[in-house]
Amino acid sequence: MLVLKYVKRADSCFISHIDLLRHVSRILRRADIPVKFSQGFNPHALVFFSSPLAVGVASIAEYLAVDTDMNGGELFERYNLAVPVTLAAIETFECGKNPNLQGKITAADYVFDTPFRQIDLSGFQIEYEKKGKTVIEDVSDKIYGSTNADGRFALRLASGNTSLRPDRILSELGKRLRTNLALSDICKTAQYVGTDGGFEDVDEYLKRV
Amino acid sequence: MNGYNDKLYKILADVEKPARYCGGEWNTPDMTKPRKADMCFCFPELYEIGMSNLGVQILYDVINSDKDFVAERCFAPAADFAQKLKEDNLPLLSLETKKPLKDFTVLGFSIGFELLYTNVLYMLDLAGIPFYAAERGDEYPILLAGGPCAVNPEPFADFFDIIVCGEGEEADLNILRIIADGRADGASKSEILKRVKGVEGAYVPSLHKDGEKVVKAVIRDFENAPYPEKPLVPNIEAVHDRATLELYRGCASGCRFCQAGFWYRPIRERSADRCAELGKNMIENAGFGEMSLCSLSTGDYSELERLEDILIPYCERKRVNLALPSLRISSFKSDMARHSRKSSLTFAPEAGTQRLRNVINKNVTDAELDNLAEAFEIGYDSIKLYFMLGLPTETDEDIAGIAEICKRLKGLYYLKRHKRGLNISVSCAVFIPKPCTPFQWEEQASFEEMLRKQNYLRSLLREIKGVSFSWHGAETSVLEAALARGDRIQSKVIERAYRLGAKFDAWTEQFKWDAWTQAFADCGLTMQEYTRERSVDEILPWDFIDTGVSKTYLLKERELGYKEKTTKNCREGCNGCGALKLGRCTVC
Repeated sequence: MLVLKYVKRADSCFISHIDLLRHVSRILRRADIPVKFSQGFNPHALVFFSSPLAVGVASIAEYLAVDTDMNGGELFERYNLAVPVTLAAIETFECGKNPNLQGKITAADYVFDTPFRQIDLSGFQIEYEKKGKTVIEDVSDKIYGSTNADGRFALRLASGNTSLRPDRILSELGKRLRTNLALSDICKTAQYVGTDGGFEDVDEYLKRV
Repeated sequence: MNGYNDKLYKILADVEKPARYCGGEWNTPDMTKPRKADMCFCFPELYEIGMSNLGVQILYDVINSDKDFVAERCFAPAADFAQKLKEDNLPLLSLETKKPLKDFTVLGFSIGFELLYTNVLYMLDLAGIPFYAAERGDEYPILLAGGPCAVNPEPFADFFDIIVCGEGEEADLNILRIIADGRADGASKSEILKRVKGVEGAYVPSLHKDGEKVVKAVIRDFENAPYPEKPLVPNIEAVHDRATLELYRGCASGCRFCQAGFWYRPIRERSADRCAELGKNMIENAGFGEMSLCSLSTGDYSELERLEDILIPYCERKRVNLALPSLRISSFKSDMARHSRKSSLTFAPEAGTQRLRNVINKNVTDAELDNLAEAFEIGYDSIKLYFMLGLPTETDEDIAGIAEICKRLKGLYYLKRHKRGLNISVSCAVFIPKPCTPFQWEEQASFEEMLRKQNYLRSLLREIKGVSFSWHGAETSVLEAALARGDRIQSKVIERAYRLGAKFDAWTEQFKWDAWTQAFADCGLTMQEYTRERSVDEILPWDFIDTGVSKTYLLKERELGYKEKTTKNCREGCNGCGALKLGRCTVC
């Protein structure tokens, strides 16, 4: 099993996760990457993604696991010849088994520009629409950390089974500032798997599994 | 990239399916090359519809492959995005370089359906471009139209500077060259239009004189005609999200209601080897998981078996599903279907009885329906059948024949298989007398009569288990017929309908029947004036187009229809329609 770490930025960050799945099957076909397939009436390629990224959010830390006998270097090269630069792979990892990133990831880092000098995140509440109803939620327990340097704000948010969408934080901050902060300014910079009481960067995790 | 990119990104987060508007698709050509002129292809429907259009993909590829020109794209935006554009005071932009439409040398609208006319105005409105050609000075792009609706361009002729009647592969480039040279010389728009007038297929409404003919543009060397071997891969799921391989142009069947069957004559086939090469290249370059063989009657392609011999093993190896739509029952080969996934088969008998099928020259016999037993034997449990209601000379007996076909198929199915039960999906369109067909003079059934026929068929089908019935709306069918045979005055009706809120008329939930009836009334017209029977002596609005097929031939076919006599398939011998004068027919 090989894992590609890739970016999703510029125009490509507006492609939804569902559409990305379709794109990846085409990318692998035109790159002529011999992917293994499942059995059954409707066989599908054995490829596995990390958690879906909200539409409009950029990332430099997305992961795609591919079940293939090809070596990592060749996969990396062929993949990059078959994708726009806005979806380029930046690293490959070789794993003994499917790392099940979607199930293991618990947190992700996001950065964005903000005119705020300081943001008090204790008791931070967001308001959003869900199934036609307005929901007000205290999300402070899903914010694991934050830094603010030179107007560049970094947040570590829950991701995976329990997650907090960064666009909702941004929308709330926009309301406080009475301005519309652009979603495309947010970038996911790292993802983490949970460890005893802490976080391990997915890159490190992939090196040891 | 210009300054609109950032502004666009800011609004994309708030709209549905933002990937419709940002471009960047795989296989996008080089947009930075030096050019003499640029053109933006405007498709008056949503991205996912427009990206499925083979014509747009072909012409986009033709222009971008030329060293002197660049083509970009723009699709009609959904209401939420249009609202955002207005709020942020942004014009409609091209997908590739986010350039305002009004800054292009040429805008080329592809109009494939009468119910898209208001969307042309919707796009021009968002682009800040006046609707009427007469209102646009030299500072605006030259507006070009083409596509299947150019069979009768009169309803939208006032909006455009040039309309390409026929196939655009050569005509578009020729026109673009003249425009580029004219702009370089500092020629005015009217001077450029004078030069364009001589191009084959080019109709210049403002300079057209009574009695002049426009000869339909035809690609004569279809074998080597350009084809998008590197098709754009849509950002979001398109309605036809696959590699589309065009096997041939034209159709040998001669169904008397079918506009495409007459318009795309002469019939020109591409060799199986060339088709296979194109198909493989599309898969290698785009990575699609499905390939469809596309032409008006794929099953009649003369080298189909050879093509299958090449493509079936290739597609199996690449895990590509080979889809075969638009089959005639008479050409159904179980061998062919055996290699496809056993999901559903689609056939179009069009009429319920042999008598009516003879009238319309749909050469499918009851005995041939029995061919479908083979399909049931190899595992098909689901079948889609297309019919038409309101055909000339149709009686209730013909409508009842549709239900009889369903019963007959169920009987065949149970002779072969007994497991799941057969699902039959019956889909009924309404007959629309289209220009350039033997039925172009026919009256369309009245609105009330259409509803009665639909209800009658529904009551018959309800009694058969496993049959679902869907039908085309009577209102949209009346409007489509009125616009299809419309004249120059209708540009005012289309504008009025747009002002009254009509757009995306092809979408049931957005169709505004009241706006259209009022628009016709406000212009002192009714739709019935256009759906009535035409006298054979009447000068028809589209008579000035020389499609190759003579009016005498169309009249002869109409008479044969009334006598319930069929005309043989062109592959069995030439019927002398006249299209040969525009190019060699490769089957007769």
